[in-house]
Amino acid sequence: MGSAERMLFLHDADVLPGPIGALGQLDDLVDIEVPRHPGFGSPLDDATEEWDSVADLAQHYLHDLDGEQVHLAGAGFGGWIALEMAVRAPRRFASLVLVSPYGVKLFGPTDREFADVLLLDPSEVVELGWADPAAVYGLRMPGFPRGLEDAEYEQAFADRAALARYAWKPFLHDPRLRRWLHVVDVPTLVVVGDRDRMVTPEHSRTLAGLLPRADYVEIPGAGHYPYLETPEAFVSAVAPFVAANSMTGAGL
Amino acid sequence: MKCYHFTEMPYPYISQEVEDEHRGLKYFMPNRYYDPVRGYELYQRYLDEYELADELGFDLMVNEHHQSASTLHVSATLSAASVLARTRKGRVLVLGTPLPHRESPVRVAEEVAYLDAISAGRINCGFVRGVQGETYPSNQNPVHNMDMFFEAHDLIKEAWTRQDLFSWEGRFYHYRYVSVWPRPYQQPHPPIWVSGTTSKLVEWTARQGYTLCNLLGAYDDTARSFRLYRKAAIEAGLGEPAPDKFAYLAFCHVAPTEEQARRVGEKLMYYLKQGRQRLGAASPPGYSSTAAAVAALRGKLGEVRKYSFERLIDEGIMLVGTPDTVTKQIQRLYDETGVGNLILMNHAGEMTSNEVRDSLCLFSREVMPAVAPIGRDWRDDDTSWRVDNDTQPVETVLASALS
Repeated sequence: MGSAERMLFLHDADVLPGPIGALGQLDDLVDIEVPRHPGFGSPLDDATEEWDSVADLAQHYLHDLDGEQVHLAGAGFGGWIALEMAVRAPRRFASLVLVSPYGVKLFGPTDREFADVLLLDPSEVVELGWADPAAVYGLRMPGFPRGLEDAEYEQAFADRAALARYAWKPFLHDPRLRRWLHVVDVPTLVVVGDRDRMVTPEHSRTLAGLLPRADYVEIPGAGHYPYLETPEAFVSAVAPFVAANSMTGAGL
Repeated sequence: MKCYHFTEMPYPYISQEVEDEHRGLKYFMPNRYYDPVRGYELYQRYLDEYELADELGFDLMVNEHHQSASTLHVSATLSAASVLARTRKGRVLVLGTPLPHRESPVRVAEEVAYLDAISAGRINCGFVRGVQGETYPSNQNPVHNMDMFFEAHDLIKEAWTRQDLFSWEGRFYHYRYVSVWPRPYQQPHPPIWVSGTTSKLVEWTARQGYTLCNLLGAYDDTARSFRLYRKAAIEAGLGEPAPDKFAYLAFCHVAPTEEQARRVGEKLMYYLKQGRQRLGAASPPGYSSTAAAVAALRGKLGEVRKYSFERLIDEGIMLVGTPDTVTKQIQRLYDETGVGNLILMNHAGEMTSNEVRDSLCLFSREVMPAVAPIGRDWRDDDTSWRVDNDTQPVETVLASALS
């Protein structure tokens, strides 16, 4: 038996690099790492330009883990990567935190379960993704925020191209993922903002019901980015869960 | 100079309110606004106009767009089949099939071969990437658009010319057995035309020896992309390309007086109306370089859409006026760019059929004979675009044009 001291946090689309918002506050509890995904301005961009599935990213991050158990977390697109990792190697993880994850299609063919982040204007993403759009920060999209240099917007376009490479069709989900969710016998916390309109709380709640050991928590007054919009509430929900699941070894 | 008649076959009955609500006429327009009876009447009218144009000596062009009130052509090959059945003489330019948006290149090879076979080789076969917004109706990944275009082309050409059963296991397309019937009537295959301004695509088109088409570009941009083509063709050992390797699409309306031509011709502006497209429709992820995407974001692309009617006439993008005026405009277009094929958008929006027919007849009677000899003896013409005369540097085009 030991204790998991690292958390791998997989970032969402459009979010600035690094441990922003509540992620910096979790640093008291665990060593949090927020790697930039290949294609999104990472050192691996050139070497990985042929990668075209979230399975590639999951394989990459799994390969990079050394033997220890870690806490795995992901938000939105990063939540999808985390789920792909969890179904492949559930025993590598002491806990799993999913923030409004993409990746699993739950309802009918004409139900739009994920907002079209690759079509919408940045202002629309903010409208759908924030309970209080005026409070937005921490996001970078083409032309957003206003007044940045060309290089920043070029990176934002490159991020969008990378997301399209991984997630264009089927859009933001992998039809093969749902059939393996039952193997994720990892303590899991699904965290959502109750005002998220990028992926609805109903979607995340239903997904939590398909994961064997998942709790579901809704944070009031937050949208798709509760770790940015309501960082204190986010830490209050996540820190006790992580602390309670830090003893490792049982699964190894 | 060869002259093609073209209409996008618009459905012009959408109110401004509805257009504004849906951010333009294209790609995301609910089809409840389509009336089947009015649609039928429009199709008959547009096909009648193609038939008249053929009788008057025009060649003919068809295209396709999707989920759009500005275009009722849904498949360039289907439209070509309809136009072929109505006409006898003119060449039918299919410009074009958006290769990355079609699921099956083999099916494209079959359809174009069929068109060529039934018409004893009246087909010019255009291949295009598909404009940005087409990404959404087809849902094909824009990141791979250019690479899919090249692979689909290679597969189609193989299907036309291999003359044996073959397998294709490429990056995007997978077939274990390919041997399309019929083969094209024109051997080894119909002339291929490509439209675009991206350097990589222009240079590739030149190396293949295909005809390059510029749609509604400002003359200096058009000349720039043709210059790039000429340089690449010469570097590939193909010699200096003749004007027939270049095509330009312009608006056109002729009338007996300048005043009348301008009054009616202004209706052609309909085509340039730009909806407030969403970011992802204007710049689909990965469709262009990040530098081009940022230039688009900063409003540096597609500037033709912002030109006034008068400026469009001055720039020669609107060929509007009396037959004499338009003949001079076409001469100037040739002098500045060296183009040998002119695609005339003789109709847009709410122009009536009579307005279109009157212009077609007058153009046929007075302009066509005057411009037909232009470019025939291009090696003797003293023009700025001839490779030996052209001292301008070769530059990338950051497109005033619309595709």
